Amino acid sequence: MNLIKNMWKDKLAALSLTVIAAIVLAGVFAPWLAPHDPHEVDMELRYAAPSWAYLLGNDHLGRCIMSRLIYGIRPSVLWVLAALAASVGFGGILGLIAGYFRGITDACLMRVCDVMLSFPGYVMSLAIVGILGPGLENMMIAFVLAKWAWFARMIRTSVMQYAESDYVKFSKAIGVSDTRIIMKQIVPVALPDIAVVSSSSFASMILQISGFSFLGLGVQAPHAEWGMMLNEARSVMFSRPELMLAPGLAIVIVVMAVNFLSDALQAALDPKLLRSKPQPQRQEFSRTAKLRGEEVA
Amino acid sequence: MRRTMFKLLSAVVLLAVLLAGCNGGAAEKSESTGSAQELVYATAKDINDMNPHLYPGSMPAQGMVYESLVEHTKEGIKPLLAESWDISEDGKEYTFRLRRDVTFHDGEPFNAEAVKKNIEAVQSNAGKHSWIKLSTKLLSCDIVDDYTVKLVLSEAYYPTLVELSMTRPYVFISPKDFINGGTKDGVNGYNGTGPYKLTEHKIDQYAVFEANENYWGGAPKLKKVISKVLPAGETTLLALQKGEINFVFTDDRGTDSIDVEAINKLAASGKYQIIRSEPMNTKMIVANSSRTDSPVHDTAVREAIWYSIDRDTISKQIFDGTEKPANTLFSSNVNYANVELKQRDYDLNAAAARLEEAGWILEKGSELRTKGEAQLTLKLYYDVNSSSQKTQAEFIQSALKKIGVQLQLLGEEAASIANRRSTGDYDLLFNQTWGLAYDPQSTIAGFTSEASYYHTTSGIAQAEELYKKIDQVMVSADEATRKSLYAEILTLVHDEAVFIPITNGNITVVAPTSLQGISFKQTQFELPFEQMHY
Repeated sequence: MNLIKNMWKDKLAALSLTVIAAIVLAGVFAPWLAPHDPHEVDMELRYAAPSWAYLLGNDHLGRCIMSRLIYGIRPSVLWVLAALAASVGFGGILGLIAGYFRGITDACLMRVCDVMLSFPGYVMSLAIVGILGPGLENMMIAFVLAKWAWFARMIRTSVMQYAESDYVKFSKAIGVSDTRIIMKQIVPVALPDIAVVSSSSFASMILQISGFSFLGLGVQAPHAEWGMMLNEARSVMFSRPELMLAPGLAIVIVVMAVNFLSDALQAALDPKLLRSKPQPQRQEFSRTAKLRGEEVA
Repeated sequence: MRRTMFKLLSAVVLLAVLLAGCNGGAAEKSESTGSAQELVYATAKDINDMNPHLYPGSMPAQGMVYESLVEHTKEGIKPLLAESWDISEDGKEYTFRLRRDVTFHDGEPFNAEAVKKNIEAVQSNAGKHSWIKLSTKLLSCDIVDDYTVKLVLSEAYYPTLVELSMTRPYVFISPKDFINGGTKDGVNGYNGTGPYKLTEHKIDQYAVFEANENYWGGAPKLKKVISKVLPAGETTLLALQKGEINFVFTDDRGTDSIDVEAINKLAASGKYQIIRSEPMNTKMIVANSSRTDSPVHDTAVREAIWYSIDRDTISKQIFDGTEKPANTLFSSNVNYANVELKQRDYDLNAAAARLEEAGWILEKGSELRTKGEAQLTLKLYYDVNSSSQKTQAEFIQSALKKIGVQLQLLGEEAASIANRRSTGDYDLLFNQTWGLAYDPQSTIAGFTSEASYYHTTSGIAQAEELYKKIDQVMVSADEATRKSLYAEILTLVHDEAVFIPITNGNITVVAPTSLQGISFKQTQFELPFEQMHY
């Protein structure tokens, strides 16, 4: 509760949170919000200018851009969120195990991570999509496979600090089971770190999924996706540049909101930043957060 | 506050300067080309291996460098490297009298011996050339005298001259370039007899062709043709605007990657002209009838797809009227193709009725037709580099959805699609007939070739009969029988709806307004650069 209160005080964070919440809700309730069927083709309206019936105009098949933008939230944001949850979950469990038990388990898991991390992330995802074939599901699988190692590594590091702490040692001494210690004593304290790590890579994953769809590897036609909408607009970028605006802006806004939010989240969660809240220091931290985001890419 | 304002301001100024710099560079470049007798065309793919007896090379480039014995023109077969020829009574012997003033680019004389060596080099690799039926019928190439050769065939084969006129493989390269006495293991030079010679080639960057001053037909006026590798689409368009290139044409893969409207805008500026050839080929969707576990095996499904394509809208909206709707595999101006065939216009009710009749039922509340366990779902492959194919695919998809047919669209590289065609791993894919010089005989011969349309045609009920007729028509000497056989073949594939036509495609050339003499050959794969001049 404190956390939300803290964040709410930060105007930028509040705004970002509102924007993201609104977008997520719009995605969930797309069938009720979208003014038209996003797949309805009407060649008479090919490249029609914005009108009251079609607020953002129509695309190369006369489909309503507004509706496609709203439906596009699902793959572009919601599915990315799901993929993120899956890779954080998977990486998190392995990270917890490695960080808590150490020893041979840790060594084995970390060497696997080393192998995974020694491939550039993009190339790895591209290769997996290449093997499995294009499509949203396959791209999600590729994401999870390519990203879990990085999360495992990050979470292990944060778990290690707590696993060495005295209260954990005491718990062990009085014979509390390992599962219980992990669940009750490690996870709660590691959670803020996990939240920061995952929120900062959320933005880069949104960009990646749009990138893959732009290349035609992700969502397949006729389903709407922002990256694909950009690609469709690209072929007419000299005769109708305005078509790039809607999907382009949508991506920019979401990614910006997520980035600001993850900065704020970090500031709000870090007790050191909480007590004294000088602006310059926060900015410094936001820079490191961004760096992490790039690393994951 | 003031400081941030200052920072912002300086950033804006810096950006402006940078952008201005970009522009300046472009302006400088645009002055460099377009001058003199030079032409720079954009191509999506490198010219690749120019060995004329193999297939990876770029056909427009090979067409400039190599020549064949005879030429296919609008008025029929005309002399090229052969001045004249005789065909024996039984149609098995072709005697060619060669031009005496022809030399290869390396100075070697073009004579009967060179012809023999080249033809034998092609024949020694016959497996690669099975699509061209002449390669299976050619028995020998004999030297009669220094400038006369005789081709002996195993049986009379009427398209012999047409197949000899093709861009490849029956064209001639200097025997000095042969490796191990042949060409199948590669060549060590690209000396043809054509109007241009390859002088420089940087892989995946550019290739320079310079005029052959000793060309037997007179040195071409256009002194230099450069083929520049650029990604298709906007990059090409920008390069055209900047003047980095000054010539674009529909390349041999037939993907129309540049937006029609953008080209029109460019032409409106007055710097460029657009020239379109007459219809050259038919763009179509090819259905894999041999895939028995897919609904596409069912004639009714293929017919329903045919009925569901609104060709008028595709022609008008997607192609801006530049391509006309096609209702048959070959348009009626193609030889032997003026056949009365059942017209299947856009009619969703007819499509639904046809499916209903064949047992594909739309259950209440369901969006997809089923027949027993099977669902009516098909996969359509398109070339990712062709924006028009994707648009058409989506358009057809939405029409089919209305009658309970699900079409999955999959965009792939052109090479991968070609591979699917030859291995039969597809339901439906976009394709096109091979152009005036090849239609109908070569395209139809392709029905029997694995690499071409064997998988498309082999699943139909009368496949055996079809193949027998194709064999007959190729060797029949009598014009009337040929006509009736072709009519039967075309009716058969039309009734089975394995080739679903969409529009008649043409070659589009975008060239500087000052360039004259732009014409077309009878094939979509070559352009006569030697006739162009400023």
